[in-house]
Amino acid sequence: MTDKLGVAIVGYGFMGTTHLSAWRYINECEVKALIGRNIEKVREVSKKFGVEAYNNIDEVLKRKDIDIVDVCTPTSTHASYSITSMNAGKHVFLEKPIALTLKEADAIIEASIKNNVKLMVGHVLRFFPEYMKAKELIDRGMVGEPVIARTFRGGPIPEWSPWFLDKNQSGGVAIDLAIHDVDYLMWIFNSKVKRVYGVVRKLVHKDITAEDFALINLRFENNGIALVEASWALPKMHPFMMNFEVDGTNGMISFDNQSPVPVKLITSESISGFSPESLPWRPAVHPFPVDPFYRELKHFVECIKEDKTPMTDGEVARRSLEVCIAALKSAELNMPVNLPLKEG
Amino acid sequence: MKKIRFGFLGVAHFHADNYANAIKKIPDAEIVAVYDEDEKLGKEFSNNFKIEYYKDAAQLLKREDVDAVIITAENVKHHDYAVKAAEAGKHILCEKPIATTVEDADDMIKKAEKSGVKFQTCFVMRYHSASILVKNLINEGRFGKVLALIGTNKLNSSLPLLRRWFTDQKLSGGGAVMDHTVHLADLIRWYTNSEASEVYTEIGKNVNKNIDVEDNFLTTLLMENGAVGHIDGSWSYAAGLYTWGDVTMKVIGTDGVILLDAFKQNISYIGSDKPNDKLTWHYYGCDCDLEMIRSFIECIVEDKNPIASGIDGRQGVAITIASYESAKIGKPVKPK
Ligand SMILES: NC(=O)c1ccc[n+]([C@@H]2O[C@H](COP(=O)([O-])OP(=O)(O)OC[C@H]3O[C@@H](n4cnc5c(N)ncnc54)[C@H](OP(=O)(O)O)[C@@H]3O)[C@@H](O)[C@H]2O)c1
Repeated sequence: MTDKLGVAIVGYGFMGTTHLSAWRYINECEVKALIGRNIEKVREVSKKFGVEAYNNIDEVLKRKDIDIVDVCTPTSTHASYSITSMNAGKHVFLEKPIALTLKEADAIIEASIKNNVKLMVGHVLRFFPEYMKAKELIDRGMVGEPVIARTFRGGPIPEWSPWFLDKNQSGGVAIDLAIHDVDYLMWIFNSKVKRVYGVVRKLVHKDITAEDFALINLRFENNGIALVEASWALPKMHPFMMNFEVDGTNGMISFDNQSPVPVKLITSESISGFSPESLPWRPAVHPFPVDPFYRELKHFVECIKEDKTPMTDGEVARRSLEVCIAALKSAELNMPVNLPLKEG
Repeated sequence: MKKIRFGFLGVAHFHADNYANAIKKIPDAEIVAVYDEDEKLGKEFSNNFKIEYYKDAAQLLKREDVDAVIITAENVKHHDYAVKAAEAGKHILCEKPIATTVEDADDMIKKAEKSGVKFQTCFVMRYHSASILVKNLINEGRFGKVLALIGTNKLNSSLPLLRRWFTDQKLSGGGAVMDHTVHLADLIRWYTNSEASEVYTEIGKNVNKNIDVEDNFLTTLLMENGAVGHIDGSWSYAAGLYTWGDVTMKVIGTDGVILLDAFKQNISYIGSDKPNDKLTWHYYGCDCDLEMIRSFIECIVEDKNPIASGIDGRQGVAITIASYESAKIGKPVKPK
C-alpha cells in the first residue's frame, strides 16, 4: 500500500473522469486527490470514486504522498498547473495539447528538466489499438515507404464544455483536435513536418471565437505529404468520426471508426450505427482489449519507475503544437509556412 | 428520327471502349468510324466494334454521315482533333482534361463556337445520379449554404500503367494532377456556383518510383464565394485494391453535411480458390457514361447547351495548370 505512487488529478470533466477510471486499474498507483474550482462538484465526483476533494492545488502539492499530478483542465491552464506541480517535485501527466503557445510549452519543458521530473503529454492516439496496429503494420514495411496520407477527426461542436468554443482557452479545432493526427502522422512517417498550408475557419459556427474547421496540408522533411481535416462543423446528430488512410510505395492501409462497429443500438427514436466512443454514456465493458487511457498512463508509470523518457514527452508534444500554430499562421496569411517557426 | 452517328478521333484512353459500349445501348445512336494515329490500336477498336478504321482523320471527318466525334486520344492531341472536327462541322464530345494548356482550351472552344457545333466535356460526374442528387439537395437548400467541399478521386495505382501514354509527359501533359484534378474541381465549381480564386498544391514523392510523372498530390481551392474545396486525385491506391478507385465528397453546409461516395453501390465477392482469396467489388450503380452520351445526343437533337460545357472543361484546365505552378513555386496561384 505505502509503496504505491500517489496520484492527484486536476479536473474532473470528460478527461478527468476518464483518467480516474483508468488509474484504478494501475496497481502501482493510487488516486488520492481530485482538484477543481467548484468544490461542490469536485465532492460529488470524488465521493463516487472514494478520493479526497480539493479546490486548491497548493494544498495537494504539499502532500508528500502525492508523486504524480495528472492535469486534465482546459488547455489555457496547462502551463500554470503543470509548472507549479513540477516545481513541487511532482511528475506530471498533462492532457494534450501541451499548451496554447510555444512559449508556454518551452516553460513546461524547462520545468521538467529543472526539477528532474517526468513529463508526458496525452497524445493518446498512440495508445489506441487501431492506430497502434496501423503503426505496427507500417513499421513492418507492409505499405513500403509511406507517401501520402489523409486523416479526419471530428463531429458536432462540443457544446457541453463551453471553454472549447473560446479560442483563448482551447486554441480552436486546429490546435485542440488536429494535434492528435499531426502527432500521429509524424510518428508513422517517422519524419518532422517542414511545410504547412492550412485553411482554418469559423465555418458553420460564426458566433464563437474558436475556429470549427481546419484543413491542414503537411509536407514532411522526407517529402511525404498529408491532409489533416479536423472539424467541429458537423451537425448535432453526427457521430464523432475518425478515419485515416496511408498510401505507400508498396501498399495502403485505412481505418474508419464508422465501419468496424461491434455494437449497434436501434430504438423507436433512432436507428444508429455507432462505435462505443460515440455513445453518450460509457459502456460498462470496454470492447477494446485494453483501454487506451489505461495504456498511456501505464506507460507513464513505467517511465517513472524505470527512469525512461515517455514516448510523448514535452519535446514531442511541442513539435505537433508548432505544426498546428503554423497552420493557423498559414491560414491567416494564405501562404504556406515553413518550420521551424522563427518566433513563438 | 434520324440516328446520331459517331466517329472516334483517337482511342488511346480506355474510356473510348466505355463510351462505345454505351452508344451501343442507345437506340438512336450509332458508331460508324474510328481514327487513331496508332494503326494497331485503331484497327483493334474497329474490329471490336465492327466499324471502319481511318488512317487519316481528314478522311473520317469528310464523311457526311458522321454527326459527331468523340475525342479520346492522348491529352496533347485533343486540341488538334477538336479544331479539325469543328472546322468539319462535327459536334464534339471531348475527354477530360480537354487540353493541356489554357490557350489550347480557349482555342478549341472558340473554333467550336464559330462553326456552331456543340462542345461537351466528358465530366461524367455531372451525369451521375448520386452526384446529381447532391446537386439537387444543394439547390433545394436542404442543408443551407455550401461552405466546404473535401473530395477524393483516387485511383488504383496499377491502372495508369495499362496505357503507356498516361505516364509519358509528352503525350499526357502530366501525371495525376493532369489526370485527376478536373472531376473534383468541376464538382466543386458546380456545387458552389463559383470559380476558384486561389489554388495551392503539394505534390509528394511518388508511390510508383518507376514512372516519370507525379502520382500523388493534395490541392486546396479557395473559391470566389468564400467556400473552400480540397482535392486528392492521387493514383496512390495499392494495386491489390478490390476496385478501381473512388469519387467521394464531403459537402459541409451551414445546416448539415452530405457524404457522397459515388461508386459505392457494389456487391462484394470473395472467391474460394484459395484461403484469403481476394475481395472484389462489383458495381451496380448508375451508368454515368451512358447518361452523359444520352445527354449529349439530346443537346444535338434539341439544340441545347451541354450540362458540362467547353467552358467547364476549360476552367478545369486552368485549375490544373495553376496547380502545377503552385507546386513549383510553393505558393497559392490564381487560375488564368
Ligand atoms: N485525449 C483526448 O482524447 C482528449 C479528449 C478531450 C479533451 N482532452 C483534453 O483534456 C483537457 C480537459 O478537457 P475536458 O474535455 O476534460 O474538459 P472539461 O470536461 O470541461 O473539464 C475541465 C475540468 O477542468 C476543471 N478546471 C480546473 N481549473 C480550471 C480552470 N481554470 N478553468 C476551467 N476549468 C478548470 C473543471 O472543473 P472546475 O470548473 O470545477 O474548475 C473541469 O472539471 C483539455 O486540455 C482537452 O484538450 C483530451
